[in-house]
Amino acid sequence: MLEDKLLVLKCRHGNKDAMCRIYEKYKDYLLTLAKGFLGEQAEAEDIVHDVFVAFARSARQFRLTGSLKGYLVTCVSNRARDRIRARMRQAEALNSTSPFAAGSSNPEQHAAEAEELTRLRQALRQIPYEQREAVLLHVRGEMRFREIAKLQGVSVSTVHGRYRYGLDKLRSLLNSEVKQ
Amino acid sequence: MRPAEDIKRLIENLSDKTSIQMDQRVREDMLHALEKSNQTSARTEPNIRRTIMKSPIIKIAAAAVIIALVVLGLFEFIGTENSSGVVWAEVARKVEASRGSVVRCRQTTSFQPSDETDYSITYTSPSYSRKDIYKAGQITESYYDDFDTNTMTYFNHIHKHYMSRTFNTRKNEFFLEQHEDWMNPRYLVQRILSGEHRNLGQKTIEGVLCEGIETTDPAALGPLPGPVNRLEVEMRLWVNVETGYPVLFESKMSGEAEGQSMSSEGVMDQFQWDVELDPSFLEPNIPPDYVDMRTL
Repeated sequence: MLEDKLLVLKCRHGNKDAMCRIYEKYKDYLLTLAKGFLGEQAEAEDIVHDVFVAFARSARQFRLTGSLKGYLVTCVSNRARDRIRARMRQAEALNSTSPFAAGSSNPEQHAAEAEELTRLRQALRQIPYEQREAVLLHVRGEMRFREIAKLQGVSVSTVHGRYRYGLDKLRSLLNSEVKQ
Repeated sequence: MRPAEDIKRLIENLSDKTSIQMDQRVREDMLHALEKSNQTSARTEPNIRRTIMKSPIIKIAAAAVIIALVVLGLFEFIGTENSSGVVWAEVARKVEASRGSVVRCRQTTSFQPSDETDYSITYTSPSYSRKDIYKAGQITESYYDDFDTNTMTYFNHIHKHYMSRTFNTRKNEFFLEQHEDWMNPRYLVQRILSGEHRNLGQKTIEGVLCEGIETTDPAALGPLPGPVNRLEVEMRLWVNVETGYPVLFESKMSGEAEGQSMSSEGVMDQFQWDVELDPSFLEPNIPPDYVDMRTL
């Protein structure tokens, strides 16, 4: 936390090493979340890229009020949600029902991943975005429900509900696959 | 049925790594954006000082640095005289009569990167002051103050920028912050002496027999420019028993301001007293290749 504050202060003074240190510290974590939200490697990479470039652009004026990690996660979530909305608009235009790109994952990557995680990624794509976001932010992003509620602009109980429904849906999807 | 904990464990194991290509792309674009941001915001650099000074705890820390100049008036308020050592009234008289002074300041704070400044040297005469900020043996920034014309000139030697401004001492907060109230040594002296202080006795500092006074009374700082909780202050001043001139000033301060815990430590040493400073050395001479920040 203190390290982050110092890094941010250094960035405000134009320190490139500090900027790179922040990137190194959070890049994999943010990429994991972005990929979890979107299910797409290339899009997830684009989002992480855009978040860091925007952060660098505003570094001089940046004021850290909470945690840097929380701030970056919020940026990734907001951008991921924008992408999802754009996909939905595109899907509507194409008269498609799914906002997620079918078969968009790289087969080679799937092969490299554990089979279990691959199934989890597939299951994540099948649950509503708000539920997916709540589950990922809480479990993988280690965010509290009230923080997620603030980010999603809903009440804590709504987030809690989304989390429970999301988790149940994932269980159901993964168990049904196991039965098959 | 698979338990929820199992699903959570699985989600926790989700892990993606950035590729070398992605790292390269992000770093390039990010650092380019940062560089561009630095260039476009360079014109605001003189205001950094002003912004910094608006934070209560930073004002305290700044005061701790400036306080070296406090010795200019400190002793005239001290009624205690030690027959076996320093006669404080005499110290006050000598300091007051000093034609010019030089002091080195080193400060570490919890709220500013420690690797940007190694130390600063401040030269003061009755009409001028000059402060050079050093990093790795090079002067990175300089501030020149002309007390007669109320002019401050700032130089950024890295970017080769400068800015000169005239201040109305009655209306301009920036100038006031430097030379009145908080930043006025005489005012600070009054505040310090309004708090409790004690004589530390004698000790040898770098082979010189010295005598010191100390205050730990936060009230010594007087009215703060904003709320500061858990304020702790520790200031010590050591004077050469033989010459009667200050040789070392140490300060430690901590507190909570604007929801953040902050602390600072400052040391002022390498004092030179009653030196004749060449006026041309204290006047800002703008190098021909330096650009006025207001034109950027």
